[in-house]
Amino acid sequence: MTLLDFARGPAMQWAFVIFGIGVGWRLVGMFLLLRDRAKATARRDAPVSDGTRAIIMRSLPAKELEHHIVFQHVSGYAWHIGFFITVLFFGPHMPFWKSILGFDWPTLPSEVITVVGAITIAVLISLLVRRLSHPVLRVISTADDYISVIVTILPLLTGLISYANIGFNKETNLALHLLSIVLVLVWFPFGKLMHLFLAFPTRYKAGADYGRKGVAA
Amino acid sequence: MSTHEASVSRFQALVAGLAARAPAPSGSESERVERAKGVFRKRLNAGMALNLECCLHCGMCAEACHFYESTQDPKYTPIHKVEPLRRFYRRELGPLRWLHRLVSHDVSLQQLEQWQELVFDSCTECGRCDLICPMGIEISPMIGVMREGLTEAGLMPAELAGASAEQIEDGRVLGAGVQEFDAMVGALRGQGVDVPVDKDQADVMVLTTALEIRMWPDALAALAKVMNASGANWSMRRAAFDASGFEYTSGNAQARRAMTRKIIDEAAACGAKTLIVPECGHAYPALRWKAADEHGAPLPFEVLAISEFIGREIDAGRLKLRKSANGGSMTYHDPCKVGRLGGVFDEPRTALAAMGVELKEMESHGKTQYCCGGGGGVMLIDRAAPLRKRAFEIKMRQVDDTGADAVVTSCESCRMNFAIGGDGANWQTPVKSLVQMVAEHLD
Amino acid sequence: MARIETVGEALARQGVSRRAFLKFCAATTSLMALPPSMIPRVAAALEAARRPSVIWLSFQECTGCTESLTRSDSPTVEGLIFDMISLDYHHTLQAASGEAAELARTQAMEENWGNYLVAVDGSIPLGNPGYSMIAGVSNLDMLQETVEGAAAVVAVGTCASFGGIPHANPNPTGAVGVGEIVTDKPIINVSGCPPIPVAITGVLAQYLTFGQLPEMDELGRPKAFFGQSIHDRCYRRPFYEKGQFAESFDDEGARAGWCLFKLGCMGPITYNACATVKWNSGTSFPIEAGHPCLGCSEPNFWDKGGFYQPLSEVEWGGWAQLGTAAAAGAAIGAASALAARSKQKKAREEEV
Repeated sequence: MTLLDFARGPAMQWAFVIFGIGVGWRLVGMFLLLRDRAKATARRDAPVSDGTRAIIMRSLPAKELEHHIVFQHVSGYAWHIGFFITVLFFGPHMPFWKSILGFDWPTLPSEVITVVGAITIAVLISLLVRRLSHPVLRVISTADDYISVIVTILPLLTGLISYANIGFNKETNLALHLLSIVLVLVWFPFGKLMHLFLAFPTRYKAGADYGRKGVAA
Repeated sequence: MSTHEASVSRFQALVAGLAARAPAPSGSESERVERAKGVFRKRLNAGMALNLECCLHCGMCAEACHFYESTQDPKYTPIHKVEPLRRFYRRELGPLRWLHRLVSHDVSLQQLEQWQELVFDSCTECGRCDLICPMGIEISPMIGVMREGLTEAGLMPAELAGASAEQIEDGRVLGAGVQEFDAMVGALRGQGVDVPVDKDQADVMVLTTALEIRMWPDALAALAKVMNASGANWSMRRAAFDASGFEYTSGNAQARRAMTRKIIDEAAACGAKTLIVPECGHAYPALRWKAADEHGAPLPFEVLAISEFIGREIDAGRLKLRKSANGGSMTYHDPCKVGRLGGVFDEPRTALAAMGVELKEMESHGKTQYCCGGGGGVMLIDRAAPLRKRAFEIKMRQVDDTGADAVVTSCESCRMNFAIGGDGANWQTPVKSLVQMVAEHLD
Repeated sequence: MARIETVGEALARQGVSRRAFLKFCAATTSLMALPPSMIPRVAAALEAARRPSVIWLSFQECTGCTESLTRSDSPTVEGLIFDMISLDYHHTLQAASGEAAELARTQAMEENWGNYLVAVDGSIPLGNPGYSMIAGVSNLDMLQETVEGAAAVVAVGTCASFGGIPHANPNPTGAVGVGEIVTDKPIINVSGCPPIPVAITGVLAQYLTFGQLPEMDELGRPKAFFGQSIHDRCYRRPFYEKGQFAESFDDEGARAGWCLFKLGCMGPITYNACATVKWNSGTSFPIEAGHPCLGCSEPNFWDKGGFYQPLSEVEWGGWAQLGTAAAAGAAIGAASALAARSKQKKAREEEV
């Protein structure tokens, strides 16, 4: 079995299994903890609309808050968007998505994706440098933060390398790229990548909690 | 003498003896940590778990916190202030706790001691960080849990511990006992202000504050005049008259519960359907939002902040105000506990508009306004004075940038803090109470 | 019977002109990626070379390798090579049969001991020897016996190189390539299903010229023909780069000649000369004809998922498996949460 066979086969299978078990475990283990329902009469009784609104509006904080966080805020969204464009709109990725979702969609020219991917890596690295140098981030960062950013950069990096066909031979490059995805899936339930799932309930909750007090958060 | 100096020295006299009253921490090191953990264990819930799990360590919360912004000291990063709680959660209640126990250290007394400054001196539970967090983490309630845990471990700062002790043992705060209350009421009645107390039946029960009783009689007088002008059937109660205790005992659950219990009982005794919280910060969310949880059911009466009541009465036409004669401009400081954490923004502005005030809003106003830096008992902590001073500079700048001639607010802790901060910086901008302004403009 | 004619004499006898011979030498030289200055050396060596004995063993094979090599419409350079070697044993091509054929083999071995080449096509079954026997001798025995005096072994085709089709899951015969059996002789793997004819002749010509094995990759294949991937030499590569793919056979993209990656092309991981040398004297190759590369020169090419499964499609396990995993995780999580809840409830009840 070559490295590529391993990466496409047993490694990927186990990755999805570990991902499934881990995410199920962590989400349910959290959601089934004790709840404290607020008993005071609400000023405003529209939790669903307040919560849903917060999911979107939390990405657009008030101007007077935004100007303190512009660089980080914009960089954060820039690399996330770049990441999703690369993952979802690169031609050779379509068979991957089709085998999972059962359908595919139009893609962007591969040169465009290359540029987007390279910019995404650059932004991620700049944020990593920031994390290593900014006083606040040095105090609050944990191993999870560093592992997660490296795990996130690797698929982009190995993807670019594989597409550009540099370094190892194509088969090894492809294998490394797939193994970097395996790493993402295996690491996912244990670190902060879980925010993919957690962002929505927490924003919702903030919107609903503040909303019942009459504050649009 | 600056505009603020008199208030400041009177206040300092009131709080002088508190630290000495603080009880010594009891129990061994491990017992004290266990007690703190006991609090964490009780108070954590699914919502906080979600919050503690989803922090991305982006550091944006620091950029919303006045303590960080004014000092640039990273230890004041809001989410960092709840780190011991997070560690406890992950090791004891979290879904991957078996893993975390292998890779992390347990919460220790040394760590809790280090965190005393972070949750008491450098956090007013103002909630501004809650608004900026991209994940929607509500850090301020967790600060409350941290405070309660540290209190159980004997780590409440001496001044606050003294205030709590006074509340628990003597049933009063800052020396504002029943005798002082009676004396103040008598004095006001002597000036011709009607202050109903212990009526058999009243629709509206009104609270006052220790500061009003001990150093700001004009404030209590204004409160009474406004209530009288509204035509409501209102009364105060000798057995439960003080709202401000919540401020100074923040973190002591036992003290808080005792105060809440008394207020509920007294409201029931006179059949009140509405409770008015005067210009006091912490008391509003404590009574409006938290009291029902402790009571186990929605409270049998409506809780209104005085500014909220005034705005409603003006809208309903029951309270009529004159337009202001002096023509100067003002800016309104939304108290954190009444505004961002209370939901009262419009009513104070209704009152100001009714008085014809030219309102110049600060860049951060309404739900995003900057905390004055004195809430949550921070004002009492002596060693926190330099930090408070730095944080207050942000507030001064915000006010100065509006070009307004004066600041008006609806919270006595804020007013006190403005006085202390302004005095220290020789800042001459007057700070007014909304209720006193309304009382002066009654038609 | 072995002849002692030199290659040059044999060619002259056959009426091959000097010019035609030199053309062949030039082509062979460039195919082996040697500089033009080597042409005279190749010519001189071939001319003077004694025609070496080649014993061709055919085991579990389909004869496709031989067919590929010999299939030609008109005299081609490939055909010429047969006049440069003495093919002393070949099931399909020899005149003799039965005991006479086996005698030819053993005599060739004796007379050229230490110098003959063994060419093998087809895999060798390690399971029951009865799967493939020749003249009552198992493939394994015949191979081991025959290579004893060989100078080198050329494994022709993927079956002989890596086991090929018989080796595919579940490999009922226990088929293996030559390299798994012969360990003490130099082996050149000329893989492909079938291999490109000039790959075989080029290897032989190299050996005849230099008496040495060509430079080989880690799978023992001559780098001259197997050193680059199809992907790196494919004329459709610009479409891959741009992201223009055929989505199905005969769709617009297919008709426009776009990249066949999404139809399962193994080009990126296949090493062969198809994209440069092509087939049928340079006529075309599978991709040019509109079909994705099968990867037939690679080991286990039958077992790399389906031929129409793109390289980026993975065995992720399916929704049922993922759902089961998530459910199992949820169950553990629920147990974890319930344990935490009871701890918390107990703590809350203790509160006054």
